[in-house]
Amino acid sequence: MNRRSFLKSGLAASSLLAAPSLLRPAMAATPVTIHGLKSMSGAFASYGKFAEMGSKLAVQDFGPVLGAPADYVTIDTEGNPGKAVRKVQEAIQQQGAKFFQGCTLSSTALAVGKEVAKAGGVFMTPAGADEITGTECNAATFRWTVPTYGAIHQTVRPLAKALPDKKKWYTITPQYVFGDALLTAAKDLFKELGIQHVGNSYHSTTEQEFSGYLTNAMAAQPDVLLILNFGGQAANCLRQAANFGLKSQMTVLVAWTAGLDWFQSLGPELLEDVYLGAQYWHQVDTPMNAALVKRVKEVYGITPNYPLAADYISTKVILEAIKQSGSTDGKAVAKAMEGMTYDGPTGKETIRAQDHQVIKDYYLLKGKAKAQMKDPDDYATLVSHGQSFPTGDAILCKMA
Amino acid sequence: MVPLPKGVWGGTTPAVLAILALLPVAVPSATLATEILIFAMAALACNLLLGYGGLLSFGQGLFFGVGSYLAALAMIHLEVGLVAALAIAVAAGAAVATAVGWLAIRRTGIYFVMLTLALAQMGYFLAYTLSKWTGGDNGLLDVPRPPLALFGVELASLDGAYAYYAFVAVLFLAVYVGARRVIDSPFGSTLVAIRENEARAAAVGFDTRHFKMLAFTLSGAVTALAGALYAMLINYVPLDNVAIAMSEHIVIMTIIGGTGSLLGSLLGAGTLVLVGEVLSAIWPRWPLLLGVGLILLVMFLRRGLWGGVESLIARYRRRGEAAE
Repeated sequence: MNRRSFLKSGLAASSLLAAPSLLRPAMAATPVTIHGLKSMSGAFASYGKFAEMGSKLAVQDFGPVLGAPADYVTIDTEGNPGKAVRKVQEAIQQQGAKFFQGCTLSSTALAVGKEVAKAGGVFMTPAGADEITGTECNAATFRWTVPTYGAIHQTVRPLAKALPDKKKWYTITPQYVFGDALLTAAKDLFKELGIQHVGNSYHSTTEQEFSGYLTNAMAAQPDVLLILNFGGQAANCLRQAANFGLKSQMTVLVAWTAGLDWFQSLGPELLEDVYLGAQYWHQVDTPMNAALVKRVKEVYGITPNYPLAADYISTKVILEAIKQSGSTDGKAVAKAMEGMTYDGPTGKETIRAQDHQVIKDYYLLKGKAKAQMKDPDDYATLVSHGQSFPTGDAILCKMA
Repeated sequence: MVPLPKGVWGGTTPAVLAILALLPVAVPSATLATEILIFAMAALACNLLLGYGGLLSFGQGLFFGVGSYLAALAMIHLEVGLVAALAIAVAAGAAVATAVGWLAIRRTGIYFVMLTLALAQMGYFLAYTLSKWTGGDNGLLDVPRPPLALFGVELASLDGAYAYYAFVAVLFLAVYVGARRVIDSPFGSTLVAIRENEARAAAVGFDTRHFKMLAFTLSGAVTALAGALYAMLINYVPLDNVAIAMSEHIVIMTIIGGTGSLLGSLLGAGTLVLVGEVLSAIWPRWPLLLGVGLILLVMFLRRGLWGGVESLIARYRRRGEAAE
């Protein structure tokens, strides 16, 4: 090869290398990717499955974002906070991931929120810990779930109003941050409403045997038993309460349930006449919820439950914010989310700029008798709904 | 021909060096490689007890958690640097392990195991109860990863995934070489003698309790170091770090790799972390498959994966000699 032909071939090679940049305007824009943090394996796999369905459907139905259909990638948290954080670090470092949604466990959500904030991304979660939009809030993290304060105010207050003669209440509480937050809110409200708190039983996070606590509750002769634990523990507590005949002796309220899939696992016999607090209920009459129920039935053949609806709307909100800001810069997208009002499954929902908390309804339901159920998922009647959130100095978030 | 290195730098050490060099490119990410090394360090410490001392301890999670929490708390509240935080973790791990060992070695067999289990559970509930310090169920957040500095002079930033991997790899190599040195010493030989027949070792004149205590202290110190490194990797200390499941995890890694082989610990940790990574993407209930694998291993490969590798090498050599 002589010098001239070397230069020619060199020029040809450089033009080939430059071709992609010349062609770029004609090609589709780089797709936006949402990373869904779902517990696909391990102890919370059943929850993760529905959450993933929600996020996938939201991405699929949203349409183009910044000129291209959005992509969706699931990160399996394995129900393990350490694994989740490490995988988020990997996604940020290797794929330049910026937009995250999900996390079942509060501990995972708190730690992931910190990682995403460091990377200047956006993270929206349905996790339960109040610290997410409280003491541990940050510029990147947003929460869809109503805090413990709202869950207590929207269940205890309407029930106390509906049953004014029932003045003696007993509580069963898991002794950890979440349980204590619910108990504190309940005690404060008891004082305000003139309710006599006749006793509380604390139990550990690993407890599955509640007969001792229920015996104590019976001995205190309350009018209402307020159950403040969650998930499998709440299910066992309710089962054992029914076996002890407590349902016929007193009113039972479970303030924070996991919704439809939890009801399905318990069945109508157990739930009949029990009052149930819920973040989402598929029978709520809002335009967006009607559309969501219809679409989920079409695509998956099921009725949407809490994890599906929560992850659907959170994913959709992030995509909407990217669209509105016209940017994939995390800060710009977070800014677009602050103060955003949108049609959510609970009606008009607003993201409070001060602490990144979504202001939305919480529901008080009452379990139906099997004979009254109009369809297999018609487990409960909607008793009341409304919005209660800490305001003013009670907002503990100090956004940096 | 260059003679092969002898002592702790010979034998399996060059293989470890090669693995350390290749690991970050062989697995999908440097953070995953770092996690493997950290758990390999914890498994290696467990191996010192189980493989060489014959002591099945379920207190390893406690030492791991102590290292995580103490290093993190020292960095957050006392604002100490990296080296000081690691030194605090190692000292705390050694102290807690000495206390656990002092009590547990008074019994043998199943009672010894139960004591380590009970003490580990106490540690878990202590961490759970002291939520103002540990974050309780939510975990301890905002754990920093300070730069590597000595006497106030910053030597390297460890913010990057590869930089942190390199730092952990150097520490792992130091621990590996140190552990080999310990095993090759009279202390190591005595530990093996105690494992094989404690009554005979005592009859010969060894204070067996003293040796077992020392093994515990050493194991606790190394496990706590691994715990501290893990907290800095994920900038967070989940309560799971001190849970009984962590002890099980470390013991399973040790058994999979092969008890009585330090290289086996690296193999065991790598296998469990990678298998979890691959299988969790295929089947949500993958721990069931892990259980089946563990049963097969215990039934047919009692010296673990490294024992299997050694058998294969020996068979290959025998065949080669027969051919000659």
